[in-house]
Amino acid sequence: MGFLLLGLFIVLMLVGVPIAFVIGIVALLGIFGIPYTPEATVPMKMVNGLDSFVLLAVPLFILAANLMNSGKISEKLINLALAIVGPIRGGLAHANVLVSMMFAGVSGAAQADTAGVGKILIPSMLKQGYDKETAVGVTAASSTVGVVIPPSIPMIIFAGLTNASIGALFLGGIVPGILIGLGMMIFIYIVAVKRNYPRTARIEMKKFMKLLVEAIPALLTPIIIIGGIITGFFTATEAAAVASLYTLVVCMFYYKSLKVSDLPKILMDTLSLSSLSLFALAAASALGELMSYYQLGTLAQEFFTNNVGAEWLFIIIIIAFFLFVGTFMDAIPAMILFVPVILPTALQFGIDPVHLGLIVVMTLAVGLITPPYGLCLLLAAKIGDMSIERSFVAVIPYIAIVLIVLLFIAFFPDIAFFIPKLINPGLF
Amino acid sequence: DPDGDGKIKIIAAHNQTSPDNPYQTGMLKFKEVAEAESNGTIEVEVHAGTIGTEESQLVEKLQLGAADVVLVSPGFMTQTGMREVDLFSAPYLFTSYEHWLKAVDGEVGKEMADIINEKSDNSFKLLGYWSAGVRHYYGKKPIESVEDLEGLSLRTQTSGVVSDFWQATGAIPSGISWGELYQGLQQDVVDSSENAYPFFVQQAHHTTPNGKYITETGHDYTTRFLLINGEKFDQYSKEHQEIILKAAEASVKAERDATNAQDVEYKEKAIEEGAIVNEIDTQPFIDIARPILEDFAKEIEVEALLQKIIDLE
Amino acid sequence: MKRFVQALEKLQITVGVLFLTVFFVVILLQIITRYLGISVLWTEEVANYSFIWAIFMGAAVMVNRREHFNFDFIIRKLTGKKKVSLNIFNDLVLIAFNACILVLGIQVVREFWNYTWATIPEMKMGYIWIAIPIMAGTMIIYSVSHLMDHLKANKAKEVSE
Ligand code: NA
Ligand code: NA
Repeated sequence: MGFLLLGLFIVLMLVGVPIAFVIGIVALLGIFGIPYTPEATVPMKMVNGLDSFVLLAVPLFILAANLMNSGKISEKLINLALAIVGPIRGGLAHANVLVSMMFAGVSGAAQADTAGVGKILIPSMLKQGYDKETAVGVTAASSTVGVVIPPSIPMIIFAGLTNASIGALFLGGIVPGILIGLGMMIFIYIVAVKRNYPRTARIEMKKFMKLLVEAIPALLTPIIIIGGIITGFFTATEAAAVASLYTLVVCMFYYKSLKVSDLPKILMDTLSLSSLSLFALAAASALGELMSYYQLGTLAQEFFTNNVGAEWLFIIIIIAFFLFVGTFMDAIPAMILFVPVILPTALQFGIDPVHLGLIVVMTLAVGLITPPYGLCLLLAAKIGDMSIERSFVAVIPYIAIVLIVLLFIAFFPDIAFFIPKLINPGLF
Repeated sequence: DPDGDGKIKIIAAHNQTSPDNPYQTGMLKFKEVAEAESNGTIEVEVHAGTIGTEESQLVEKLQLGAADVVLVSPGFMTQTGMREVDLFSAPYLFTSYEHWLKAVDGEVGKEMADIINEKSDNSFKLLGYWSAGVRHYYGKKPIESVEDLEGLSLRTQTSGVVSDFWQATGAIPSGISWGELYQGLQQDVVDSSENAYPFFVQQAHHTTPNGKYITETGHDYTTRFLLINGEKFDQYSKEHQEIILKAAEASVKAERDATNAQDVEYKEKAIEEGAIVNEIDTQPFIDIARPILEDFAKEIEVEALLQKIIDLE
Repeated sequence: MKRFVQALEKLQITVGVLFLTVFFVVILLQIITRYLGISVLWTEEVANYSFIWAIFMGAAVMVNRREHFNFDFIIRKLTGKKKVSLNIFNDLVLIAFNACILVLGIQVVREFWNYTWATIPEMKMGYIWIAIPIMAGTMIIYSVSHLMDHLKANKAKEVSE
């Protein structure tokens, strides 16, 4: 039965049925195969899967990101990033990474970062003589920090699934996110020296201060969001609404870069983008239901305790598994399906849910740039007009960097938890 | 009996994921007795939170036939369109454990079972009354008298009568989700909360500044309904029906014993870990609750039932 | 047909955006009321249910726009009639799945119609569940219109071959 469904899954996926529907069809047929379960469980579970307050953060953070792009906040961040790291060799590429890190602090939506930053920086990098591989590779790969540096949609979903503290997860993402960013910049520097990439002229202090002041309202957003969450001023979901409102107000009244008449389109884009991944989530909930009728969580726990035994091996297996799943599935449905399966085993091994969350989220972040389904890779390739195959080759070194940081965090979690423990020991 | 081989499979579910939860003890007892008495012609598959950690989802599954035996609290039953059931979630309806026992194991319990069965068109049939312990206040200061609650924000259930009661005491009901409550108590988002020992001690709420003082208000001797899908039950053989009822009876005893044991165990744990517990004369609270109870009973048309419960005191 | 589908899509995305706006505003209201010390219990439930409606309406529109992500490397490699046939097959798969969801969804709506909201007992759960058959029904309409396009293309190919 299980293999039949798996086969069907693969065939339907290959012939081009949308993956969210493939998930739904397999769930429906699977439940059909269980005599004690009515098929109406599938639509019921699709609604139940969405009936969770934390999920509202998904469209709201996407809204915040869309507002940033439409309201030209992204441009202000790019200008500031260029002023800071532009004078280093390979300046535009460094700025690409730095601006993704800044963008990451406002929005948990990595695709919006690729789209917003890529549209501006890929053409200008090409103009300045960077090769296409670097332009597309850096843009796609640096967007992955968006889900590691807080706020992060996948972290919110993970916390909702496991009851892990969202504040702890958010704070735990800061150091790994910065390490990934720095790692990428070091790699870029090496390449830039070898290929003699240009740097931008150092700008004078006065001009720099002007750029900084211009960007300050935008840079305040992460402080408001993270601060609000860890002080308990508002929940993660509410923070997403606050981020959107704040961005809206700043763009409309401070920068005056948004008009009321721009809003319908922004809202429509937000709904479009979020309903895609959340419909997949709804379908995944139905499939997850099927898996819980088979009690896969218990089976996995038995399997791992009997056959694996060692915690480090379990962690490696989780990473390899989510790397694989991430190649063809969004982070959200992947977590809905598989986190409940691995959680009992992780708890038995004594792995803290917050630690597990960091591992899973960072691993699934790599999925954003692995084909065939890597949203950031697809977007960047489209903007840079490059084939998916060539784009993937271009991001491989960056994937290696993310994996190195990931392994450090997986086996030396204190690297990540040093900051959150300092700020708020009560979280642990 | 879909396979026609005289064997049936029962999917039994509750919403608690912890294996040492009393619900799990009760469900496993149900399984043990049902399977042993039927010589294996009944198979019981117990789901501890795996097919739903939300009670509303478990009720929906029961109605749809996606689960056969589930455990639900009165508040969630109300959402199925039968408001009468909500009486059992009203504060100070029962004033002691003995009072609760007399009610649910006697005439009152039978009447409530009939209401549930009729109002649900036999979708739900009551198998027994379980308990989720006694709920008490815990917060940033001990309660010595009702006045101490004035202006305190208190995390409590969101259903009407509970919030009416706490408002009448002067407290401000606050709707924070259970998962965010530890943080909320830690960060002073909310001043206090109320629940039974095993639930809040497991979440370490008593170790936070705003959860340290426990006052044994005993405002809710909680009731949980063990339900079976009535239509399916009627299709089972007489023999199987009797076995199921017998298993349910055994599960009731096992679950209540486990709950009572945990109430004691977790109270001790709380004290050991620095919580400060005080007792209080509950009569002033009962006096506040009584008119609210009466109004509520009138609203949901169970005045006679309320009177029977009061008379049992 | 084309005109009707366009109008339907416009109506549906407008409904979706309205619900998106509702839950955005309600969440802000929740923060504000909490800090004013007013206890408003229905915010979370209203926000959740608006969200469900918004997502299901958006997901249906995305079917019409063919934005749901799929692997197209086989379709892209195929040409002519084979390509059209595979497209027709995929349309039929979506129609069949959504027909099941429509029927089962109606069953669910009938089972749970009279369930009530937790915080607003006057509101019926039926208003939420009905989003499922509406989503599935409109997805069928969109897929049928795609199917008709593909059948037309198929015929054109036959004529030209
Ligand atoms: Na982020
Ligand atoms: Na991927």
